Amino acid sequence: MAKTYDVIVIGTGAGGGMALHTLCKAGLTVCALNGSRRLDPKKDFRNHKQPYDMPFRGFGDPQKSKNYIGYMDNEYTEGIWEHDIAFTTAPGTEWTWRRCFAVGGKTNFWGRSSARFSDIDFQAASRDGYDVDWPLTYQEIAPYYSRVERFIGVASTVQNRPSNPDGEYLPPMNFRCIDRILESGANKIGIPYLPDRIAQLTRSLNGHPACHYCGNCTTGCDTGSFFSTPWCLLPEAEKSGRLEIRTNALAKNILVDNDGRASGVAYIDRDSKQEVEVHAKAVVVAASCVESARILLNSKSRHWPTGIANSSGQAGRNLCDHLYGTTARGYFPQLLGQPSFPDNVSDSTIAWLPRWQNINNPREEKFIRGYSVYPDGGCSGFPWYYDTIAGFGRDFKREIKRRYPTPIGFYVQAPTQRSDENYVDIDPTVKDIYGIPAARLHFAWDKNTLLMWEHAKHATEQLIRASGGEYLGAGEIDIPGTSLHETGTLRMGNDPQSFVTNRFGRTHDVPNLYICDAGVFPNCTDKTTTISILAFSLRSTEHLIENFPQFKA
Amino acid sequence: MANQSPDRRAVLEMLAKVAVVSQFPGFSRWSFAAENEHSAPPKAAHYDPQFFSPAEYRLLDQLSELIIPRDETPGAHDAGVVEFIDHMVAHDPSIQFQFRRGLGLVNALAFQTQAQDFLSLPLDKQEGVLRKIATPSQSEIEGPAFFKLLRSYTVMGYYTSRAGLESLDYPGLRLYSASPECPHKDDPEHRHLPPPRY
Repeated sequence: MAKTYDVIVIGTGAGGGMALHTLCKAGLTVCALNGSRRLDPKKDFRNHKQPYDMPFRGFGDPQKSKNYIGYMDNEYTEGIWEHDIAFTTAPGTEWTWRRCFAVGGKTNFWGRSSARFSDIDFQAASRDGYDVDWPLTYQEIAPYYSRVERFIGVASTVQNRPSNPDGEYLPPMNFRCIDRILESGANKIGIPYLPDRIAQLTRSLNGHPACHYCGNCTTGCDTGSFFSTPWCLLPEAEKSGRLEIRTNALAKNILVDNDGRASGVAYIDRDSKQEVEVHAKAVVVAASCVESARILLNSKSRHWPTGIANSSGQAGRNLCDHLYGTTARGYFPQLLGQPSFPDNVSDSTIAWLPRWQNINNPREEKFIRGYSVYPDGGCSGFPWYYDTIAGFGRDFKREIKRRYPTPIGFYVQAPTQRSDENYVDIDPTVKDIYGIPAARLHFAWDKNTLLMWEHAKHATEQLIRASGGEYLGAGEIDIPGTSLHETGTLRMGNDPQSFVTNRFGRTHDVPNLYICDAGVFPNCTDKTTTISILAFSLRSTEHLIENFPQFKA
Repeated sequence: MANQSPDRRAVLEMLAKVAVVSQFPGFSRWSFAAENEHSAPPKAAHYDPQFFSPAEYRLLDQLSELIIPRDETPGAHDAGVVEFIDHMVAHDPSIQFQFRRGLGLVNALAFQTQAQDFLSLPLDKQEGVLRKIATPSQSEIEGPAFFKLLRSYTVMGYYTSRAGLESLDYPGLRLYSASPECPHKDDPEHRHLPPPRY
């Protein structure tokens, strides 16, 4: 008889990585299924390559670059992001879905901003009457955030912001010239401008060296100086001897026993294109929000005719996303012609404008809840602003040089709210090349989020002006899915009839099935998701371990 | 490793420091950072155009130099921008026609207005022809579109070359042991900086 593992973990990103690490350390045997290969930092991370070391200078082979999806998919990361992704969109829906199936998933390239969720998020419904509260309090999750921060290392300062609880931080990154200028402007108009919470090592930690500030984080870090599953979680888990990672294994559906409990996973081996079954006493799904919902919905059986753990009919529903877009662009005339300054040492993730709206009064703005903003600017690599300078010759070249330290832009992170219109289901006809029915996205920005966008455009224009800058205009709203912060398809809540998972990420219907990714978050808040995925996954996995004795093969 | 570039050497030095301070037995895991295997093919001492004819190539070289000329720092010609453009265009059929036609347009205008081949003209006359090509008018949209394309590829080629990035003093050519801090402590608004250097 084939081996039965203690637990199967689907996915090795933040959620799956934390789950398998915690399970192995607790003495359980784990089979981790991963959709693609292991990355070899020696070959796959090209973050120390200069553009002139690249065959196409970083722009990519024109024949291939047409198919790049989003800015992280480029010549530096070639061969890592998936390009034959099976999803469809309902009429009227636009959606982009960048998928990294490599071991470690998107943690290999993530944005690293790491703010904790807070009670203003968890109890937002009580404050403004929309939707429902989260089924837990900040006090319950705070210790898990602390453990994660001590483990991965997050650099920031104590800021005493009501919407952003402070954590346990490494020394912050220093403010650059553009930060000092913007901080002064922000003080004048009364909005916060502070060091971001950034999961990047400002000193060595737990055997990982401090950051060397090359500035190319989103092409992968070859010194492991920011958190990723392969650098921080896998070595210890693999050392335990209890982890088996199956690569090129695309999870298809969850298998059930005669009682309808999870008994294993069927996956497609991408090399042989054959279906393989693997068995375990419990299953953790952490394939990321949309993919996890797809797996559950595709897991139909006699017990679960609409998909496993979906008696509520809520699997795939309540999809939320962050609206991303450049709210304002400008430049600082006071920096014209000044010497270059290393502004781009951290992919520009140094400062942020944490949520400042609807703090004291949940209804003080035309919208409910709030958004945060990330600034970006100064001397980067390529002078993208050249297009705004006319002419050619010496003057053109001099003007490019003069403006090099001056550009400034703002990127908004605005959450959508839960709605019946935004969800993922299974396309009735389209399958991927492995024969797995495709996910179908139904999504549109809601009015509340668009009001935030307008508000952010105005606020950041004011900030540029208050800082002595010249305002050059606003950008466009990015296509939905750009943020990679989708949440809410497998929401946690106390009522089994309305929620897929309980407050520990365990499905109400199937006690040995846990969800350890952002699918369990009831909405997406104004904060990024990764550190919360780590904290919630840690808590859920420890809950699984506690309950493990009752699971049988 | 006598021929390693200065930035690569800096990476090695940085990693040596890192290994000392981290006291981590597994530091060899990142010692490869300086020796990344994924290298561009070694640059040929002599570049043979892949797409453009020798005459087109010479014209393109001069046009790129007009757009980004040599001053205190190298220009497009020194930086080999024409090689980059030829390489990109050779791999991108969607812009081949526009480039080829645009170059023809430049020579046609040189003959029409100066009765000479573009490359035979003195510099100021060359600039005059290029300016005319670049200027939109009711009857002429092809010229400005070509100029925009040509200028984009020149900028792309120059500011991704070592010479171009050095001309900007691109900070990414170095590594840092601490996160760099604004040096103007007493001037948060940066209203009283030294006179512009450039």
